Amino acid sequence: MKAGDEVPALERTIGAADMIAYAGATWDWHRLHHDAAYLRARGLDRPVVDGQLFGALLAEQVQDWLGPDARLRRLRFRLLSMVFAGESVRVTGVVTGVEGPLVTVEQKVLVADRVAAGGTAQAVLP
Amino acid sequence: MNLPVEEIRELVGREVAYTAPEPLGRAALRYFALAVGDDNPLYTDAGHARAHGYRDVVAPPTLICETNQYAGLPMDADGYAGHSWHLDVPGARLVRGGNDYTFHQPVHPDDVITATWRIESAEEKAGKLFVISRATYTNQRGELLAVNEETLIYVEIP
Repeated sequence: MKAGDEVPALERTIGAADMIAYAGATWDWHRLHHDAAYLRARGLDRPVVDGQLFGALLAEQVQDWLGPDARLRRLRFRLLSMVFAGESVRVTGVVTGVEGPLVTVEQKVLVADRVAAGGTAQAVLP
Repeated sequence: MNLPVEEIRELVGREVAYTAPEPLGRAALRYFALAVGDDNPLYTDAGHARAHGYRDVVAPPTLICETNQYAGLPMDADGYAGHSWHLDVPGARLVRGGNDYTFHQPVHPDDVITATWRIESAEEKAGKLFVISRATYTNQRGELLAVNEETLIYVEIP
């Protein structure tokens, strides 16, 4: 493993049912993620995917790639544009550093060519 | 710049703690993994988790930072039931600046979580007000599980 290596992409379509499941699983029922009248009043025509979900996808990509003996140590991410119900996201990653057992990966959450979120994950190998 | 930087800066150091009324629970781990579409057996199969150095199934790493399960707060008008500082910043809208999670120890179903939120800093940069809010998650033995540093950005409405 070395800087420049690509991490296999993770793809997911986030439908209304997924968003309801996520709202329940995180105890967060914010109307932005499901309430049509609330969204209309704010000029939005579809529910907005809870950006926190992308943290879970960024973690999953790195954990899947490094395997069950690796431990995720740090994850930083920033939301850059909204993702709406029914859209498909693709999580990409590139290794930017390997120092002993510590691996650093720069990640992006993309909707087609639009960057929805960017992040940096650090994990420790066994 | 009309943002009330001084007033917000006076809140630095403010702290509030929430302790969950019950252990996190195995179902919470399984529900979260199912909801995000992550089928990693570390979260659902205790035998598999033990074979990889854990004492039981573990929570998906970001669960503790994403859930409001511990808070025990009522839903507000927006349907939100998690921690908020309810900062009153007139003439500004709130933009989420991002999160920085540090995972110190694996989280297990028998952990009773305490989340302690603290306002770390408030500063003005490029006409915006940046507030750093940090959650420190511990369990019933006082063990540090994770830290979640959140950046809140207040942007003046022109």
